[in-house]
Amino acid sequence: MSSNLKFLVVDDFSTMRRIVKNLLQELGYSDITEADDGNTALPLLKDGSFDILITDWNMPGMPGLDLLKAVRADAKLAKLPVLMLTAEAKREQIVEAAQAGVSGYVIKPFTAVTLKEKLDKILAARAAA
Amino acid sequence: MTKVHDVERFRAHVAALNSALDGGDATGFCRAFDSLGAEMDCGLLPELKRLTATAQSALARFSAEARLDALAGHEVPDARKRLTHVVKLTDEAAHRTLDLVELCGPLIEEASRGSSQLLAAWERADSRNPEAAAMWPGRAVVFLERTRTDSSTLRSYLSELLMAQGYQDITGQIIRSVIALVDELERVLGKLVQIAEGHEVTSLVRVLPSTPDWQQGMGPQVEGISNGDAVSGQDDIDALLSQMAAGK
Repeated sequence: MSSNLKFLVVDDFSTMRRIVKNLLQELGYSDITEADDGNTALPLLKDGSFDILITDWNMPGMPGLDLLKAVRADAKLAKLPVLMLTAEAKREQIVEAAQAGVSGYVIKPFTAVTLKEKLDKILAARAAA
Repeated sequence: MTKVHDVERFRAHVAALNSALDGGDATGFCRAFDSLGAEMDCGLLPELKRLTATAQSALARFSAEARLDALAGHEVPDARKRLTHVVKLTDEAAHRTLDLVELCGPLIEEASRGSSQLLAAWERADSRNPEAAAMWPGRAVVFLERTRTDSSTLRSYLSELLMAQGYQDITGQIIRSVIALVDELERVLGKLVQIAEGHEVTSLVRVLPSTPDWQQGMGPQVEGISNGDAVSGQDDIDALLSQMAAGK
């Protein structure tokens, strides 16, 4: 497991960011940055060299779907793995996120096992690319 | 329906119109036309005034009975403050719980590491040696083994406690959508009060979309409220995404 990966966790609820951060730390990742919506996340992504983005969908300002689309539209960020961690459960939404290029979709409430499983899958695909 | 005697009062005007038309008298025709219009207005105006007065008094009565002033003035704004306060309290409680979870982690690690080290030392010492047996009473060894097992159990409980704080995000999103609704209700009530007081009111500016905007995010599913075709859980999502990937 590569524990020096750089994560950006985006969620407007600070409790959720803290939960995800704790889980990532339990999995051995320590380089974790937080943002509270797409508008604050995007400049961080453009300036930093993040390895993976974990984002909520429903946020004031720029929602997660728009952030995902902005990432995919940016030549420098286009290949960044994006895991959507959200309570949005409409089929239409999941299809839209997949078409926009989401790498993984975890529905809230979620378990630590599910998060690890999806991260492992994303990181395996990233390593194979 | 208009009664016969109501229609009779137009007969003379229509006759004047006909006569002007037959005689090619444009000025006379216009005059007869205006006079017909005035006759019609004098029937309509009192009716319009009566309707306006009825609507105004119904609105004033509704305003009083529905306590619009109190609702718009403080009860609805107070409801918004209460909901905001609930989000703040649950946020603080969840963070306090997370503080304690984070503080417990190292304590459990220390207990686990200490018991494992002592047990390893016991295993290195010859338990059949009477000196070692005197130093390591059986009860102490059982306690250390128990501590090591319990540490692992506690670690998994702490992990569940951490995950359970996710309720604050879910409930917070639901409450936030209710707060947006209360905001709009407050604006609508404010306008109703103005109308009931006889003020002219400009059109309402909608804040919430008339239909939920799923691109912006609709928040968590709530039992009994349908948001359309929703997945039943993570397995359903995984199946949907696999299906899409296979169909590419």
